[in-house]
Amino acid sequence: MIDLLLMLVPACAPGDPIEWNARAAEHLLNRAGFGARPAEIERAVRVGQAAFVEELLAGYGDDEPFFLDPPERPARAEMAAMGPEARREAQGRYRRGQRELLFQFSGWWIAEMLEGRHPLRERMTLFWHGYFTSSFREVKNAAAMVRQNELYRRHALGRFDQLLREVVRDPAMLAYLDNDQNRKASPNENLARELMELFTLGEGNYTEQDVKEAARALTGWRAREGEAAFFNRRQHDRGRKSVLGVIGNLDADGLVDVLLKQPACPRWVAGKLLAWFEGREPEEARLAEYAAFLKQSEWDLSAFLRKLFLDPQFYSEAVVGTRIAGPVEYLVGSCRRLGLEPPPQLVWLAAGQLGERLFDPPNVKGWEGGAAWVTTSSLLQRGNYAGMLLGVVKLENVLRPDPEMASEMSMDEGDEGMDGMDEGPAEPRERTGGEEGDGPAAARARARLQAAGLGAELGGLRRLGELYRPNLNLSARCLRAGAASDAAILATLCSELLAVELTAPSRAVLTKFLDGERASLGVADGKLLEQQPEAERLLRRIAHLILSLPEAQLH
Amino acid sequence: MMDQPRFDRRRALLGGLSVFGGLALVSSRAHGAVRFFASPPLGPRAAPRTLLLLQLSGGNDGLSTLVPYGDDAYHSARPTLRLPADRLLKLDDYRALHPELGRLRKLFDSGSLAIVQGAGYPRPVRSHFKSMDIWHTADLRGRAVGEGWVGRLCGCAWAGAEGTDRVVHVGANVPYSLHSSAHPPTSFVTPVSYRWAGSEREVEAYGEAGAMDGAREGEEANLELLRRTLADAQASSERIRRAAARYRSAVDYPADPFAAALRDVAALCNGGLGSRVFSVELGGFDTHTDQKNRHDALMRRLDAALGAFLEDLARSEAGRELVVLVFSEFGRRLKENGSRGTDHGVAAPMFVAGTAVKGGLYGKHPALTDLDEGDLRHTVDFRAVYAAIIEGWFGVRQERVLGKRYEPLPLV
Repeated sequence: MIDLLLMLVPACAPGDPIEWNARAAEHLLNRAGFGARPAEIERAVRVGQAAFVEELLAGYGDDEPFFLDPPERPARAEMAAMGPEARREAQGRYRRGQRELLFQFSGWWIAEMLEGRHPLRERMTLFWHGYFTSSFREVKNAAAMVRQNELYRRHALGRFDQLLREVVRDPAMLAYLDNDQNRKASPNENLARELMELFTLGEGNYTEQDVKEAARALTGWRAREGEAAFFNRRQHDRGRKSVLGVIGNLDADGLVDVLLKQPACPRWVAGKLLAWFEGREPEEARLAEYAAFLKQSEWDLSAFLRKLFLDPQFYSEAVVGTRIAGPVEYLVGSCRRLGLEPPPQLVWLAAGQLGERLFDPPNVKGWEGGAAWVTTSSLLQRGNYAGMLLGVVKLENVLRPDPEMASEMSMDEGDEGMDGMDEGPAEPRERTGGEEGDGPAAARARARLQAAGLGAELGGLRRLGELYRPNLNLSARCLRAGAASDAAILATLCSELLAVELTAPSRAVLTKFLDGERASLGVADGKLLEQQPEAERLLRRIAHLILSLPEAQLH
Repeated sequence: MMDQPRFDRRRALLGGLSVFGGLALVSSRAHGAVRFFASPPLGPRAAPRTLLLLQLSGGNDGLSTLVPYGDDAYHSARPTLRLPADRLLKLDDYRALHPELGRLRKLFDSGSLAIVQGAGYPRPVRSHFKSMDIWHTADLRGRAVGEGWVGRLCGCAWAGAEGTDRVVHVGANVPYSLHSSAHPPTSFVTPVSYRWAGSEREVEAYGEAGAMDGAREGEEANLELLRRTLADAQASSERIRRAAARYRSAVDYPADPFAAALRDVAALCNGGLGSRVFSVELGGFDTHTDQKNRHDALMRRLDAALGAFLEDLARSEAGRELVVLVFSEFGRRLKENGSRGTDHGVAAPMFVAGTAVKGGLYGKHPALTDLDEGDLRHTVDFRAVYAAIIEGWFGVRQERVLGKRYEPLPLV
């Protein structure tokens, strides 16, 4: 257990070496990975900062590589021989196969994050997935999305220049940014523009003419059915181009070389990396320092991250515990801190409902992140999904009107024409035996979820959720930490579940709740954990409250 | 009925106290109340002007919605799908509404339904997603432009105003039109599910956790944002669930989830929550095979639910200030395919409905004999309809939202 007092270290001046303690180690594990259990934090402290950073860069073992078994597209001749209905059916089967493959891979990826064999690589893969983003909606080929992800994990901690070179000929990217339509006679600027605006330089560091010329350099690169990239010489424009002052017969590699030589490029990449890991825009002097380092180290991403993770400013008050965790980070982080092993697809579906559907970014800029994650709807739902992972919230609980509303709803059913809803596409009316507020209203709500196209999403969540039971013993964990009193129990739970210190008002709320609930069990303070299984149930409900707090959204 | 928005809000706020109980809550509720009362200026116009975006997803067959039955080309292109002339709801000797659109026909006759013919955009795209993106962003570049058009409208029309529930989507998939990080929409599938789930006592504690704003000076910015959002979320969740639970309507809505979503919109519109844009989706329009029965059923559902909704709204002041915009990402091919269905097409009619709407036919029906690769050519840019809403209804200069100027149709 981390002593809360350790969190109160004085802020140090930039440049001073930091004190490598539990607070610093936990911060590094939160940002370079997806959070950690107290034992891992203690170990990191023992190992020492420099050695532990090397551990993170090296990882703890190989992943079990994903076996890619893509659905077979029916041969053209075969398709041509079919009647229209059979053809449509074959196409439908193929598309379903695509979706299933991506669902399977999403689960594989989340499992890697949950297992923590190489937390930093997963974190960087997630970064590149948003930086060099592509969407399955438009690529429409799951195998290409899987291969793109494999490209990002291969180079996650490698060299940016090599990664960039491969991205401009990545089949999913070629399809996503329409390079299929980029031909000598009719150039398409989409890839060229995003290459400059989002991948290397940022707006204001190139002209429209540069985009046009760069598009010509990229002509001819295509993705065959989104699966394999190839270069069509006849569609490539071999003429002279002028990009950012460089004149020559540029091809894709030549263009990448020009972009990498621009002073704006290391600044752009360094700025994005710093903002992602620190949760705030870097100050100018720091940005300049890191940009120069990135260039001088020949785009070595591991060297960049090593420098960052040893930088005292990375551990400053302005950085630690101030970043809003994205849905994947929040959900995976909560599972890792709790030691939960839910079905990975459950996490994937929940993250999607919270606004981060992997392989389906909102647009070419990827996910905006930060404050944009926080909406009234997503904040309420974060608590609900955390409760689901803890086994204290079932979808049914979300759909059941609370008692206060239930009385108004039942009035509604008495004098309204809504009763007919029950004969609609609703499921058979459930009799849940005296459970308050369930019944027609919840059944109607379920029917609406299904009709809203959430059959696959929430329906899937429901099925996964029904079978899922968390392997969790918070009581044992508190006992091991020597916590028996209410105050000690809360301190233990908060220090394990939260990346930031609990604020006084939140502590007051939790204290009051625990006190009231313990008293209603008729147990004295200090004796709660002896009263099982009630105590464990109560601790899980408290964990649900903790993970729903504003503090739990930060890391 | 909730004809007294002011009174109703007070009730909702006082109700909030009884739900969560405890003195700790008073400061937050009072805080919420101040901001809430300060939001829409209740001038001479008591109810604010509002908009409902009704999205028909999948590509609605415009030619089976507004039917050019007077054209031989229609009958010859649709040997199995053409609708029998004797059942059609004829508007003139060329156009008719689908036989299932009886309630909409009545609204057309009474002048509160406008039909915009041949809506589309230049260089049409036949991908569902890309075309929908164009409708959602009002820009041919699609999502590359950033926010959705409603997000931009919010930024122009209600930027300074407090507005947790300014934009509300009832349904599972929030359309990109509402995408905006500065003005994120409130969204839920059903009001009952728009809540933090826990036992009564946990909900009470959770309420207190959100009630602590103002307690800490100099709190870290993100923590402050989260705390404020939590308070807003609790207030919003309660307002919305209460408004939906309490809503009484003399109009019978059909027993159908789509109709239930519209009923929720009516409840929120009449509940005085300060919402300005609502959004609801009806899916299933991608009718490549056996279109007839499926499309007939969709028209029946649309007519029954939208008819009930508009009848309901016409009875209240707030409801009369709501305009409905019905659109789809594209229409369908003129010529039916080999599986008694239709494939992705281009131009299609839009509906604009509401008491405040100047009903009638707008634009020109696309010619069935002058096709572009088998598709109807659009005769009206859909952004001219948006322009009418943005300028004519919300009083915002359209260039600020659309980037350029379209001749607005005189719809409102």
